[in-house]
Amino acid sequence: MDDFISLEHMVKVYPPRVLAVDNVSVGFQKGEIHSIVGENGAGKSTLMKLLYGLVPFDSGVVKINGAAVHFRKPGDAIAMGIGMVHQEIELISQYTVWENVVLGAEPVRGGIGGTLDSARAIELVRRKIDEFQFNLDPSAQVERISVAALQKVEILKLLYRNVSVLILDEPTSVLTPQEIPQLFAELKRLRDKGTTILFISHRLDEVLELSDRITVMRRGKKIATVAASETDKEALAEMMIGRQVIFTSKRTPHPRGDRVFEAKGLSVTRHDGLKLLDNVSFSVHAGEIVGIAGVEGNGQFELVNSVMGLAAPTSGSITVNGGEITKLSILERRKLISFVPQDRGKMGASLPASILDNAIMTHHRLEPRFSAWRGLVLNYRNARAFTDTLAKRFSVQMASRQSPFRSLSGGNQQKLILGREFLLSTPFFLMDQPTRGLDVGSIEYVHGEILSMREANRAVLLISADLEELFLIADRILVMHRGRIVADLVAEQTNIEEVGRYMLEGKITA
Amino acid sequence: MNIIVGLITGMISGATPILLAALGGAFTFYAGIFNIAMEGMMLMAAFFAVLGSFLFHSWLVGLLFAIAGAMILALIFIFFSVTLNTDEFVTGIALNLFALGSTTYLLRQIFKVKGVFTSKLIDSIPNIHFPLIEKIPLLGPVVSGRNLIVYLAVIATIFCYYLVFKTRFGLRLRAAGYNPNSLDSSGVRTSRMRIQSLLLCAVFCGLAGAFLSLGYVTLFAENMTAGRGWISLAAIILVDGHPYGIALISLLFGFFDGLGLFLQGYGVSSQFTSMVPYIATLGALYVYARRNRERERNAL
Amino acid sequence: MTRRILSGVLGVVIALVVGAIIMLIEGYEPLATYGALAQFSLGGIGPLTTTLKNSVPLVLTGLSAAIAFASGPVNLGQPGQLVFGALAATLGGLYISLPPVLEIPLLLLLAIAGGALWSGLAGLMKQAFGMSEFIVTLMLNMIADFFTAWVIAYPLMDRKAFSPMTPPIARSGWMPDIGPLNSSVLLMLAAVVVMWFVFQRWRAGYEWRITGQNSLFARLGGCDVRGNFMAVMLVTGALAGLAGGLVVMGGPHRFLKGLGANYAWDGIMIAIMANNGLVETLIYGVFVAAIQTGALGMELITNVPSEIAQVLQAVLVLVIVATREYAAVVFDRLAARRQARERAA
Repeated sequence: MDDFISLEHMVKVYPPRVLAVDNVSVGFQKGEIHSIVGENGAGKSTLMKLLYGLVPFDSGVVKINGAAVHFRKPGDAIAMGIGMVHQEIELISQYTVWENVVLGAEPVRGGIGGTLDSARAIELVRRKIDEFQFNLDPSAQVERISVAALQKVEILKLLYRNVSVLILDEPTSVLTPQEIPQLFAELKRLRDKGTTILFISHRLDEVLELSDRITVMRRGKKIATVAASETDKEALAEMMIGRQVIFTSKRTPHPRGDRVFEAKGLSVTRHDGLKLLDNVSFSVHAGEIVGIAGVEGNGQFELVNSVMGLAAPTSGSITVNGGEITKLSILERRKLISFVPQDRGKMGASLPASILDNAIMTHHRLEPRFSAWRGLVLNYRNARAFTDTLAKRFSVQMASRQSPFRSLSGGNQQKLILGREFLLSTPFFLMDQPTRGLDVGSIEYVHGEILSMREANRAVLLISADLEELFLIADRILVMHRGRIVADLVAEQTNIEEVGRYMLEGKITA
Repeated sequence: MNIIVGLITGMISGATPILLAALGGAFTFYAGIFNIAMEGMMLMAAFFAVLGSFLFHSWLVGLLFAIAGAMILALIFIFFSVTLNTDEFVTGIALNLFALGSTTYLLRQIFKVKGVFTSKLIDSIPNIHFPLIEKIPLLGPVVSGRNLIVYLAVIATIFCYYLVFKTRFGLRLRAAGYNPNSLDSSGVRTSRMRIQSLLLCAVFCGLAGAFLSLGYVTLFAENMTAGRGWISLAAIILVDGHPYGIALISLLFGFFDGLGLFLQGYGVSSQFTSMVPYIATLGALYVYARRNRERERNAL
Repeated sequence: MTRRILSGVLGVVIALVVGAIIMLIEGYEPLATYGALAQFSLGGIGPLTTTLKNSVPLVLTGLSAAIAFASGPVNLGQPGQLVFGALAATLGGLYISLPPVLEIPLLLLLAIAGGALWSGLAGLMKQAFGMSEFIVTLMLNMIADFFTAWVIAYPLMDRKAFSPMTPPIARSGWMPDIGPLNSSVLLMLAAVVVMWFVFQRWRAGYEWRITGQNSLFARLGGCDVRGNFMAVMLVTGALAGLAGGLVVMGGPHRFLKGLGANYAWDGIMIAIMANNGLVETLIYGVFVAAIQTGALGMELITNVPSEIAQVLQAVLVLVIVATREYAAVVFDRLAARRQARERAA
């Protein structure tokens, strides 16, 4: 069978010199579910964006039914029946479902600027919803619907344009384990109606369950395309990473010490009365890693803000080493709390500043050796020595201390932040998704460092959306659901299915 | 009685240029452009309005010249900000300077004067009288006999509302500001919406500038916009770009503008009366900031 | 570094070419015009010292804007802060008469206080009520303008003058000349050095820089973001106020009508050209001063009106900034294309 879509010798270099896609050729057949797997940064998303016309490529040929095509913008691809749902959901939250769906292909009645025919638009959208059994309200405001529903709106938006090829970029990363089978059922139904589905993922179990064929990418190169029925998880992982990977925990038993961190009755109430954080109480002991599982947006953000002092909780208390911190300034808190945020560029570093400037943050206020003239002037000699020590201890690969922070790779950026916070010598460590977007090597490194903090008898609170990660390193797992902690489980005595059920439903129902 | 009519007509005259410029700016606001070039667009328009009217002895030509003048700035804005991706704030500031510099330069080059140019040959934009309405006491002298541009501004407000909220153009325009990535992946180029919004902004600022130099008075003076573009920017921010809100805020500023002139008649020195609209802007900002802060406090 | 200088020089060259094209359209001789411009601004000790003296308010307001923008606060209030500094120095010079060693520092301090007062007012409105300093400073500019216009037209007006202006300040408050050079130039250079040290070496400067780049990161890192905001407003207001004081004390020795208008947006423009770099601000400040100074002389020997300098300035800003930003993109794209060609082969 000839390929319906074929990509030949595709090359993409992101300026100035990041080689994202390195001479990749691959073909997709009509009506198949074809997965593209690879680590973060392997180039799978970029490859699909090249096909979609969202990112211009440097060389290569795209063919549909054997004829070369060139999409300059996504609109061209959509016109040829190819649609893509991005990893970050790109809907307009101020608009309703139907407005989002018809945007760019609106039914109009004419007149200056084209008067919208909203009645007809709603009817058209409703018909599509019924056709694919999506269970959505076309007039619902997008900011009020669930993440799983948002994803359906994205898919609906493409089906409304009658696409025959759907590209989905990591669609399961925002779903709970229980929502995933429903999505897969919908995708298989679409395939059976003749839609081609290109599925980007790095979760091998899902890929094996869903796909007909699988293409593996590593560092911008295509490694192989295999039929799902002829491979297994270990073989795929080895192709993906280039070496054998062990899927087991390196955690060894460690005695837990005194209580370090305690939250009591913590609540955050929104102006409309909705409880974003609802009477949350838990504690973390020295030498213990406590994981917080939960779908994003179930109160983790408010918890982090309350602990760090970015926003005051409506009620409740937080103590570290027995002292109340809710009234303290951020600087006072930083004497007790180290913090690795989920978004490096927004909260963890200044991208244009030098590596040195990023390395001494917080230290510059807390440690006398960085000050001269009674704190008026910074001691740059000690700052330089400190940066070098930090880079060496945490194996940060850098051209020079003065290079901008953004010139570091994602893994090295995270190592620098981790090292900076580690060296603050605080009793309590708050980590919010510390491995998001990293490659396997860096993830292993970060996990190793977190475990060594545990060895150093520090109390670690780890918020993660990745259940496998929690099971690898956490001692206890708390599950957050709609602002509440609905389960407090010992890692050895539970399993992914149980945690997943709590994440979705907030309780275990028979 | 006459005082009230005087105050109201003063308010309307003061509000008109701010309203038109702010409506123009609202298009770019919705399209997600940080556009601070209204001041410059209005100033260019005011100059070219006088030039066109002077050369052809026709206010209509003046009006067309005004729009063309503002359009020159819009095109430069598009070239730098949309095509070359230069920072919008920088582009806006440079264009305001460019407008100030080039109108001063052209004033000297073409009319051979410094400061102010006026001439009997300049045809001003006419006032429109409605014979029937005029007879109604109080209402008549307010509604009838205003400058043509004033009536245009009223129509423009409704037109602007319809365009932004009821049409395909408006849906895409707002999408460009809310989430450009979403619009792009819907197959509509955000840059195209931004270009269109800037061109629309130039048309509205053109009308505003023409009103200043051919309606309000019949002359061109260096820097005659005197910060009205900035006030219109404040008006947009205060009401999040909503056309009816803009109309309300503009009338408020117009009122203080008129009040200033009125106070001058009572012996308050002109320097202080001229400050009134700017102090009113600060007052409005204060109310806005307090409302925002309360909302924020409730949010946490 | 080399790339930064390269794109800066390229920007200036392109801007001058664009200016030349405008002159050609207007029917002037670009080379002769630029020649005259250079001759009257840089050709010899006299023109050169005049240019340097004229650069004082430009560099200081530029420094004010550059530090504000690089640290976060959008302080666009240099024009208002400048006239308030000038007014404070004038008031001191009119009512206090001391020996020069005391009079000059006193007036300078008054100028600094005057500028800081006006920027502090904007800072306070932000801190206390959350009013955006961006529009507040703009409105305060207009108010300061009208207020000083009133002061020199009524309470402080010189009855002997034809247009509104104050009487001259005490002779002991005049900035002395050192040979051909006015001492205000030395003060300006000192201000650049001090501000560079504060910005690059002080702990406060470190926090300002980081806050300007990413205020959330700075806040989480324990920096005093609120305190720093106020400090930056006060310091940048003080710099603009100092500029105003030096304009009065080094030049006409009195507050003339329209004194502020000449420098209204120049500082902001220079900071933008300099990409908020302090040393670059000094360089571009002197460059713009040269254009303004030369333009007056140019008008005398060519028939090009001096107002063209204003047009040229606006073209300079746009082209220099666009070139800098676009050059970076082009350099990166060229590097990418070279690598892509290697991989495809």
